[in-house]
Amino acid sequence: MNTVVIHDPTLRDGQHAVRHQLGVAALRGYAEAADAAGIPVVEVGHGNGLGASSLQVGRAAVSDDLMLSTVREALRTSKMGVFMLPGWGTCEDLRKAVAHGADVIRVGVHCTETSLAERHLGFLREQGADAHCVLMMSHMATPAELAEHAARVVGYGARAVGIMDSAGHFLPQDVTERIGAIRGAVGDGVPVIFHGHNNLGMAVANSVAAAGAGAGIIDGCARGFGAGAGNTQLEVLVPVLERTGFRTGIDLYALLDAAEFAERELMPAPPTTGSLSIVSGLAGVFSGFKHQVLDLSGRAGVDPRDVFFELGRRQAIAGQEDLIVDVVAELSAKRAAA
Amino acid sequence: MTIAEDVTAAAPATVPPVSVAVIGTGAIGQDLVSKIHRSAVLECALVAGRNPHSGGLEHAARLGYPTSTDGIDAVLAAPRPFDVVFDATNAQSHAEHWRLLRPLDTLLIDLTPSKVGQMVVPTITGTHTPTERNVSLISCGGQASTPIAHALAAAFQVEYIEVVSTVASSIAGRATRLNLDEYVATTGHALTTFTGVADTKAILNISPAVPPATFRTALHAVIPGATAEAVRAVVAEAAERVRAFAPGYEVIACGVDGDRVVVSLEVIADSDVLPRYAGNLDIINSAAILVAEQHAARLAPAAGTGAAR
Repeated sequence: MNTVVIHDPTLRDGQHAVRHQLGVAALRGYAEAADAAGIPVVEVGHGNGLGASSLQVGRAAVSDDLMLSTVREALRTSKMGVFMLPGWGTCEDLRKAVAHGADVIRVGVHCTETSLAERHLGFLREQGADAHCVLMMSHMATPAELAEHAARVVGYGARAVGIMDSAGHFLPQDVTERIGAIRGAVGDGVPVIFHGHNNLGMAVANSVAAAGAGAGIIDGCARGFGAGAGNTQLEVLVPVLERTGFRTGIDLYALLDAAEFAERELMPAPPTTGSLSIVSGLAGVFSGFKHQVLDLSGRAGVDPRDVFFELGRRQAIAGQEDLIVDVVAELSAKRAAA
Repeated sequence: MTIAEDVTAAAPATVPPVSVAVIGTGAIGQDLVSKIHRSAVLECALVAGRNPHSGGLEHAARLGYPTSTDGIDAVLAAPRPFDVVFDATNAQSHAEHWRLLRPLDTLLIDLTPSKVGQMVVPTITGTHTPTERNVSLISCGGQASTPIAHALAAAFQVEYIEVVSTVASSIAGRATRLNLDEYVATTGHALTTFTGVADTKAILNISPAVPPATFRTALHAVIPGATAEAVRAVVAEAAERVRAFAPGYEVIACGVDGDRVVVSLEVIADSDVLPRYAGNLDIINSAAILVAEQHAARLAPAAGTGAAR
């Protein structure tokens, strides 16, 4: 039986759904529940990672230092993961995370901009940290391009590499091709990561396809907690993987308990595949833009679906939330002129 | 304030040319050479890189300028020091370049985000009288955002400032990519220095969009009690002053929502070698040329009387 390592970014990617407002009690409670279930890695942070609390994407309720020390204290056997985007966080943030006892450190870059991670992966290699690199918005590149970039970041020092379907755009066959291409490019010693989003209802199916194609690390969040339609729903993913023939080492009842806790304490309601999530999946835009798109288009009286399609046309990537203001203003002016 | 006059005052065309060298042959170095080529008072005496196949060296040679692949060593080997050396390499190399050039009578103008030299933003500090011989142009995002941030801080009680710049991937070279941390630290430091606001933040995005996106900077600020009308007036006035030397500098949007202010800026390049979207390089290089030309004007009387310098 093959093994898959489950990586749980509920306390990081889930932050997008609640405008980065998770408090200390929620962080501690979920980390304890995840630890009790034997989830191998629990990732924590602002939705955009270390150093990313900002007006551009939203200010976090809790500082990076407090988030990391809280979760570190709550974990007995699970590893602590963090996430960082070059240009947002810096080596100084990575150094602090290592000092806080982060075990798995993920550097995220747009899928075709991997040279932005060279410096930070090199720094983590010097620190002896378990550095991963994830290629974001991976629907914007071909399997061959993804394979080339994956091999490159392994050269920089990544010990695991993979893709995020940030816009929830993929269908299972897309994932099979991409994971297979990366698997072939990086060699057997480097685990391949898949991180799904559920905009088109495909997150669990895509994750199973990824495991089938040789991914060794799969991400999932409790109740799918995440932007828009959410991430891959963890407590569905784990038993489905087990039935498919992949061992996760996670205790089912304790996992279900952790998901109950998450639904009760982390979120006003579990994510649903609403109209805007479907549109953002089709348009190939990160669902994390949803709150700002709704706020600004509501005030300007423009259709938020048009805003998402226009952001897709402009090839907006995560972090470019400032484009929303421009797009809404432009659509609003067009409407006035019509 | 007399700074506007300082910015718009062109260097006198009658000044005898001063000799300048450019180290670094990426897009920023190449645009510098083309701007020096346009200048009446700057004489390009050396373009030095490391890579013999770089387009920047070919471009300089085509314009008839001496080139070398020996980098800083070629600068040091010159029979007499250059009046001005532009450093378009990277933040790590700059510290070493400054150590080597410091003993010489040369003005070093730094285009890297090294944070080493005296920070210059034309519309804030002026360009006439740097007191040190190492001038830092901060960063592209710094040049785009600090004029607005400084004007807002002068007019209002600003609690927080954040700037998010987006550069097209095709114009972000290796040095830019390796210097993201320095970019973040140096741009944030400049924001604090020129506004007095302790709590600042800088972020850089690299956009992969095709066709490439025009360089943009979004400035977010927390300003209790600011009205949209008052903010727009301050921003428009500050932007007009920047346009005196960077004509492609535009305010795209300016909004106030409660105590939150958002200003979106774009810079279109006005250059013989850069694509129009590369306003990030155009604005920092235009500022650098301004500093060099003012330095030329300052050297002129000494040259006229034959005094040693």
